[in-house]
Amino acid sequence: MTELRTSETKLEFPYSRTTGPVIGAFLAGLREGKVLGIKGADGRTLVPPPEYDPETGGYLGVELVEVGPLGTVQAWAWVHDPLPKHPLDHPFAFALIRPDGADSAMLHAVDAGDPAAMRTGLRVRPRFKTEPTGLITDLEAWEAAE
Amino acid sequence: MPARDIAIIGYAQTPSQRDAIQSEVQLLVGTITDAVTMAGIERREIGFTCAGSCDYLTGGPFAFVSNLEAAGSWPPISESHVEADGAFALYEAWMRLQEGDIDIALAFGSGKSSPSNPAEVWAQQLDPYYLAPLGADPVSLAAIQARALLDAGRATERDFAEVVARSRAQAASNPNAQLSGAVDVDALLAAPYHTAPLRRHDLPPISDGAAAVIMARGDKARELCSRPAWIRGMDHRIDPHQPGVRDITTARSATTAAKKAGYDGGPLDVAEVCATFSPQEIILREALGLPEGTQINPSGGPLAGNPVMAVGLVRVIEAAARIIGGSADRALAHATAGPLLQQNLVCLMEGE
Amino acid sequence: MSTDSPARKEEMVMEHLVSLTYRERLTPNLNRFVDRILEGELIGHRCPSCSRVYVPPKGYCPLCVVTTSAEDEVKVSDRGILTGFTIITPVAYYGQQATDPFVYASVLLDGASTPVGGQDITGVAHGRIHTGMRVRAVWRPPAERRVEGITNRGWGGLDAVIESFEVTGEPDASPEDYKEHLF
Repeated sequence: MTELRTSETKLEFPYSRTTGPVIGAFLAGLREGKVLGIKGADGRTLVPPPEYDPETGGYLGVELVEVGPLGTVQAWAWVHDPLPKHPLDHPFAFALIRPDGADSAMLHAVDAGDPAAMRTGLRVRPRFKTEPTGLITDLEAWEAAE
Repeated sequence: MPARDIAIIGYAQTPSQRDAIQSEVQLLVGTITDAVTMAGIERREIGFTCAGSCDYLTGGPFAFVSNLEAAGSWPPISESHVEADGAFALYEAWMRLQEGDIDIALAFGSGKSSPSNPAEVWAQQLDPYYLAPLGADPVSLAAIQARALLDAGRATERDFAEVVARSRAQAASNPNAQLSGAVDVDALLAAPYHTAPLRRHDLPPISDGAAAVIMARGDKARELCSRPAWIRGMDHRIDPHQPGVRDITTARSATTAAKKAGYDGGPLDVAEVCATFSPQEIILREALGLPEGTQINPSGGPLAGNPVMAVGLVRVIEAAARIIGGSADRALAHATAGPLLQQNLVCLMEGE
Repeated sequence: MSTDSPARKEEMVMEHLVSLTYRERLTPNLNRFVDRILEGELIGHRCPSCSRVYVPPKGYCPLCVVTTSAEDEVKVSDRGILTGFTIITPVAYYGQQATDPFVYASVLLDGASTPVGGQDITGVAHGRIHTGMRVRAVWRPPAERRVEGITNRGWGGLDAVIESFEVTGEPDASPEDYKEHLF
């Protein structure tokens, strides 16, 4: 069979997304070194704050509450080979982290250095970027607080 | 109550291949033709067509429009598309048949994962504010889910490996499987982690493929097929998107979908479930309430071949084929979408 | 708290660039088409059922839904009829490299049943372009033919080998000859 040529296509879609009063306020909080959540319809504090209740779909308003700063790892995976789009360029843990005072967990990176340093229940603190960009990655990573 | 006299009477699928030489449309041309031939109908008898595919996966805006060429769209046909697995296209076509004014419908699904990096493409289905900027890929998410299952004491890494070994062994009799054959559980456990606690074998292969199903109503189905696979119920339910607000060691929406599809926990001969990562089979077994004695993924399931956007419809085909072929009387098929079993579809089928 | 300290403008809009790369082999029928255009020849597949000729070859006929193969290959002319066009005044959206108005025309090659789209038309002022004009390919010199941009996606990438179609000055084709192929 003839050798077939290989083609390469790069597709790019640049989006500018309006963040609104809830997500925008959460992102503004990160810039100030704060993690914010919102009260769900059942009284649970949800982080990151949704605009609508994940159970009922009901409107939750725009009143945010501060949580943390410390949190606890609920579950985690060790990323041995980070992808270019991952938040850290060296091995790290993706984890569900429940900030103190919150009843839900947020997905983020834990910069633990080594999988042996990770465990469910690990106490972690947020590390914020010095030059924020208005994204959830302004919280650069969580790190061990023990 | 939905009509209970709609049945699957024809189907076809391509083999799962790591790198298919044909275009996505070419994969579909042969597959749809084969399904139409099996059903013993003419294309023009099809009253409604629904397609499932993903433009991000195909790699072009409105790429799904080309796929329609494989269905034969001239003279103009009545059709629809879902940006989802072909199983969800089947659901829409089944709903359309409920209206009672047409007798035959076609659903198909297709995707080539080989040209892109699936880990990057799949991050595009996530919430663009809180999840996508983290590059949260499906393997990392599945590994967190696996950890939660381990931490809860509901499974061990050996359980994961046993799912893989059974899937590959069962796939040995499936000519469309990509990965098959006997593997030793201890050998699997000796492999290094890919994304701990998952090893490479806990992940599905990267696959290209397509699948198509023909459904017919009532007497038309009986006329065309000696033993149709009657769809007794089909349902699609959704959990909250953010993995941190729900219990990821279960799939509540799968439980609800099974109940709403009419599954009562009674005996099942076969269940084909879309467990894309080995721990998810353990979760789905519980969430769907599959009884002891049910043959789970006799085809090998997604761990043996994962043609994304067709893999859920393939589950329906594998279940229906066993009813049509007479080796099963009652079968359940499951498809999923979204991160960590967020969306779940259940299709319950029976012989006459 | 958000009510008394509203998010600043930087947080009200977030930028999100989706950037994905696809690498794949050309399908055998497209690869063969590329072999031929490098040699200055245009080919298509003739449907064994309806005789329509598709350029570039798709490997199937979308009207009859039958597969086609190298056995159905036919050569088509590099001359044809301009069946449709628009003149685009570019706006500077992301990725747009053109700055001056340009033609985007469809050409029905003699011997083909499907027009090739997205072609430039030369040898005539933009304001005088009209459908039915006879045109011929202006091939790039062999050394300047670059086919790396031709992919299984998109509409053929003929501009890699054909700079433009220039009007021949022959009498216009009758609308009867191309009314089924306006796109």
